[in-house]
Amino acid sequence: MSLRALSRQRIKVIFGIMLLFTVAIIVQLIRVQYGPYAPVFAKRVEVAEALENEVTPTRGLVFDRDGDLLATNAPMYYVEVEIIQLTPTSRREIAGVLSQVLNLPYDDLRNQLEADWEGAEQYRIRLRRTTESGNNWPIIVDQVVADMLNAFLADPDAPDLSGLDLVPAPQRSYPVGALIGHVMGFVNQLGEGYFGIEGYYDDWLTGQAILVDSGDVPLQASRLPDTPAGVNLVLTLDLDIQQMVTDILAEAIEDSGAESGQVIVMDPRNGEILAMVAIPQLDPNNYEPWLPEDGEGEEEEPVINPIVAGQFEPGSTFKVLTMAAALDAGVIEPDDIFVDEGVIEVGGVQIRNWNGGKWGPQTMTGCMEHSLNVCLAYIAVEKLHANLFYEYMEAFGIGQLTGIDLAGEVAGQMRTPRHPEWTDADLGTNSFGQGISTTPIQLVTAVGAIANGGVMVQPHLVRTVVGPEGEYWPQTTVLGQPISAEAAETLTRMLQESLEGETNFARVAGYQIAGKTGTAQIPDEFGYDPTWTIASFIGWGPLSDPRFVVLVRIDRPESSPWGSVVAAPVFHDIVERLVVMLELPPDDLPQDLAAEQVE
Amino acid sequence: MKRRKKQAYKKGEARLPTRVSDRVLLPVVAFLLISGFYLAVHSRHARVGREVLLLEDRKAELLREQAELTTTLAELTSPAHLLEQAEALGFRPATYTDLDFLEIPGYVPPAPFVPERPPAGLAQGDGALAPAYTETLGERIYDWLGWGSAQ
Repeated sequence: MSLRALSRQRIKVIFGIMLLFTVAIIVQLIRVQYGPYAPVFAKRVEVAEALENEVTPTRGLVFDRDGDLLATNAPMYYVEVEIIQLTPTSRREIAGVLSQVLNLPYDDLRNQLEADWEGAEQYRIRLRRTTESGNNWPIIVDQVVADMLNAFLADPDAPDLSGLDLVPAPQRSYPVGALIGHVMGFVNQLGEGYFGIEGYYDDWLTGQAILVDSGDVPLQASRLPDTPAGVNLVLTLDLDIQQMVTDILAEAIEDSGAESGQVIVMDPRNGEILAMVAIPQLDPNNYEPWLPEDGEGEEEEPVINPIVAGQFEPGSTFKVLTMAAALDAGVIEPDDIFVDEGVIEVGGVQIRNWNGGKWGPQTMTGCMEHSLNVCLAYIAVEKLHANLFYEYMEAFGIGQLTGIDLAGEVAGQMRTPRHPEWTDADLGTNSFGQGISTTPIQLVTAVGAIANGGVMVQPHLVRTVVGPEGEYWPQTTVLGQPISAEAAETLTRMLQESLEGETNFARVAGYQIAGKTGTAQIPDEFGYDPTWTIASFIGWGPLSDPRFVVLVRIDRPESSPWGSVVAAPVFHDIVERLVVMLELPPDDLPQDLAAEQVE
Repeated sequence: MKRRKKQAYKKGEARLPTRVSDRVLLPVVAFLLISGFYLAVHSRHARVGREVLLLEDRKAELLREQAELTTTLAELTSPAHLLEQAEALGFRPATYTDLDFLEIPGYVPPAPFVPERPPAGLAQGDGALAPAYTETLGERIYDWLGWGSAQ
């Protein structure tokens, strides 16, 4: 073969190879453009070329006052499927694995995988599940399950999960779970806060979503922006006190066979809530049972936090406010004598004492000690009269929102003489806490005024707000001064005395405490439930420098209907531990220390 | 003589296409060189871009890992968990009778807890890259001539 012929042959070979490459590239281009995966690629390109995409910042963290983490953002994953990659085997095995691991109905998953999504021009779907309440939510798996599924995907010998994809998404997580559920509220799968702190501070915690250029095109890659994150919150809650109160209340509910219960611990000086417990608890990590069912619940929302939304007739604990009003108005003195005949008629309604008994001559302190309905009705009707009584109750915030920083608060109900259905009998019954409804937080706020020298402060749960620009410390908000400091002091001493006589279950050795029991009937459609009661106790201390107000409410106890038997011991148990946690020395300690120093 | 003429003709025939091909191929070669250079820069840009995307993925993964560890730590230090462990070791909650109270002159209680500030938002962009890395030649000339930004 001549040199020229050889050269031509070589050129032909080179051209042939180049042609082969060219044809291969063209074939691949046609495959990508028009092949079976074309819609998937097209969708990805569409996403990659999206000019703008909304990026939601990390939701703010929530801590207790000592820095214990209450709410954070844990990684969770949506379970998605790329339809085009599914095979008959993978359809079967994806449904099988997910149904076993997540305890979901196999048929439901299989139906989702078998549906004609391509006909509906959907090439990627997010698998969903139907909840017990009928809602249809995307399936979310945690890191442990995600790791396991990823291991299956990587292992050729594992079940065939072709087409399965786990898409990360931040999910709100509450490390201490149900312990703070009623306070925190929860965040749904769309990142929206509901109830409690999550609902009230939703806008602040969410931060500001921003639009960014996005895509997976390497040539357009740039550093993603840091979105302005939501603020971090430090609550006034003390998690140790919260745990202690929860344990004691749970035990009391179990022992008394009660249906439910609530406790609030508040610092009366500044309105800081140290503990807020409601049982049954709400687990914010599993909030679905608390959501209204589809198409229902629009008119009546569930009571997520009974402490701010659960109205009740307070019963005898309310007598504290009536007596405070009478003392402040100067219409009675602690030693004034009232002769109890066992019954008083107000507006055509006969009012009797809790035991139906006749108690004879009693001082005002005795009226509180024996919790005499007749005496308190007499004070309201004959001494205060309607206008003054309701003026004081309004000054104490009864029937109004306290403004606590929790979503879902309700105002309670109080009929005043301005109300068309109000009667004189209302004044008589309202004086001892019947025919009037308050929320636990309202009662604590009002009684907190007596503990705080007559100054009523707004209860609140956020101690510090920490944002990118700095810190913000909310100031104490004074709601008013319903009674004078002298009246508050007088009533406190009366209640301290009456406590020692009436309910020794509540006394805490070494500490001066004031308080009042309550046993309230529960209204129903026929008047009042003949069987069940709400047992309660509200007290504060140490009297030398009050640092706490504690309200205990126990609903429908079986063991005894009385607040002095069911609720007062709970108050005692809580305060006995509380004084240690708040580092409060016994009232007689300063003298002891002084004596030691002299020796 | 005749033979020499033929040779001269043949050489001339060969030189003509060479000159033509030189004139045609030179721009082609120049074009190919520039294209190759452009392709090399572009491919490097793409590779770095891909690296950025991978680093962003890695950053997201590390943040997820951090969140997971933070949650686990919070669960392990929760009061319920610590109480359980303390009780298992034979401890019980103290009451005030278990305590000795002392007056400590000048005692300063611990400062209140303040968490770290959340990150402020940073605008999307090229971070610390100088304009030389991103601007086009046209933009540079515009800027050099004092005509302001070409954009």
